[in-house]
Amino acid sequence: MDIIKGKVIVLGDDVDTDQILPGYAMAEPYDQLGKFAMAGLAGVDFKTVYEPGCILVAGRNFGCGSSREQAPIALQQAKIALVIAKGFARIFRRNSINIGLPVWVADVADSLRTGDQIEVDLEKGTITVNGEKKQFQPMSENVVKTLSYGGLIPRVRAELGIKD
Amino acid sequence: MNLVEKYLAKASGKDTVSPGMDLTCRVSYVAAHDVTAPIAIKMFRQIGVKKVFDPERVALIVDHIYPASSEKARDNVWTMDDFAKEFGVHIFKRGEGVIHQLMYEKYHAQPGELVVIADSHTGTCGGYGAVGVGVGSTELAAAMATGQLDLEVPEVVQIHLTGKRPANVFGKDLILYLGSRFGTDHLVDRALLFTGPGIEELSISERMTVCNMGIELGSMITLFGTTAREPDTAEDLELDLGTLEPMIARPFSPANVVPVKEVAGTAVTQVVVGSCTNGRLPDMEQVVNAFRGKKVDPAVNTLIVPASKEVLEQMEERGWCKIIRDAGATILNPGCGPCFGAHEGLTSARDVVVSTTNRNFPGRMGCMKANIYLASPATAAATALAGKITVPTL
Repeated sequence: MDIIKGKVIVLGDDVDTDQILPGYAMAEPYDQLGKFAMAGLAGVDFKTVYEPGCILVAGRNFGCGSSREQAPIALQQAKIALVIAKGFARIFRRNSINIGLPVWVADVADSLRTGDQIEVDLEKGTITVNGEKKQFQPMSENVVKTLSYGGLIPRVRAELGIKD
Repeated sequence: MNLVEKYLAKASGKDTVSPGMDLTCRVSYVAAHDVTAPIAIKMFRQIGVKKVFDPERVALIVDHIYPASSEKARDNVWTMDDFAKEFGVHIFKRGEGVIHQLMYEKYHAQPGELVVIADSHTGTCGGYGAVGVGVGSTELAAAMATGQLDLEVPEVVQIHLTGKRPANVFGKDLILYLGSRFGTDHLVDRALLFTGPGIEELSISERMTVCNMGIELGSMITLFGTTAREPDTAEDLELDLGTLEPMIARPFSPANVVPVKEVAGTAVTQVVVGSCTNGRLPDMEQVVNAFRGKKVDPAVNTLIVPASKEVLEQMEERGWCKIIRDAGATILNPGCGPCFGAHEGLTSARDVVVSTTNRNFPGRMGCMKANIYLASPATAAATALAGKITVPTL
């Protein structure tokens, strides 16, 4: 996987799927979900800190709540490059990998600030900020493989040899 | 092996399993609703298989936004309807009820059977002994195609229940209490298993309430076992139901829980009783027992949402609908109702809601500033009558 570079947006604990993509967006067309990404975020006006290609850095239990796959889809459509968190809720974590959105467990929310520029090598498990490289648990090989195909369905199709 | 491991071993055709082991499990039932099914259908078509693994074991249920609140919401129903016709699977599209209640009423999964639903509250079926695993749309598509689900064997946290519960304490109070004890992520990737003589104090409906909210503590599987203590668990905690009291989750987390008495007197503007958490007949009975011959406070918008048409029919046969309406409350059509902020009872910044649903995240019922409290139907009903948060007396 390529190195991911981007501006950091630091978030708190328990950012739930209603904050990532509010319930009212469930009645919106699927190709328009990016407009509603993080529209329900409590405490921060996301639009004021957002830029395409940014990296979300969160605390514990990111993505708790609903199983709606629309939540990671909205982040993907909004061109969020990566979500790093101390921990993810199980279904959100799996949904993200399944659609090809990189999510990675690393405990860095307390040491970064919104606006910091970082470089992340998921396969090596490193984060570089201000020239200083820190080591974390690398992303698992299986997850890297799924992401390299762009998600679970393209991976399964490739592995089964299904073409069109 | 504990009960969860025994069930997963059976579903995966293995003699023994242990925590962390990757399994491919045979699935007994697969279902999705109008928020998750349309994407699952798109993914299913991308996989490129020509049939679902067993049409009798696949259900599509329109519950989240019924009747449709927008053109897109209605289009989602057509997407599901087309798929149901093409692949011969059953669709419930006329307000029959919430997915977890319909799975209970119509499909009767047996203890140990694996139920995979594209919804986070799939654990609900653990109340009647089935193993529910909630997934997203892509995994659901794969399960529809293969009849299988890949998962890793979770560590099990056992709650061994003893004692007799006080008359005003219900399954809802138990799971809220556990939220206060464990927080929102202690059980991520783990299973929550209830055993002990105390489980006989809880009706199947209440056990479903408990299992419904296991996900709010992060759990992958929530299950009721037997009165016997299970071996081989990661954590084993004994809890005397007699020590519990009515509990309530304050804004904005299902784990931000205190005894109801600590916030008693807080003025409320809306009360909601219903949903897959607490929309069954015994829940409605709590409301009717409280409302009979009384009026709800005129400042409180009181919305009663049966979990299914079957529940509503039973309410009508018993004369409960009249009691509820005479009290000044509104009975909404069976379904998810205002629980997740899409329609039917959205809030503004001035609202304070007491709801029997499962989540009170910021903006859950529309407005980010509306305060939502989560409690049992008995607490919600007492609160509606008084116009302020009230400890139920029974």
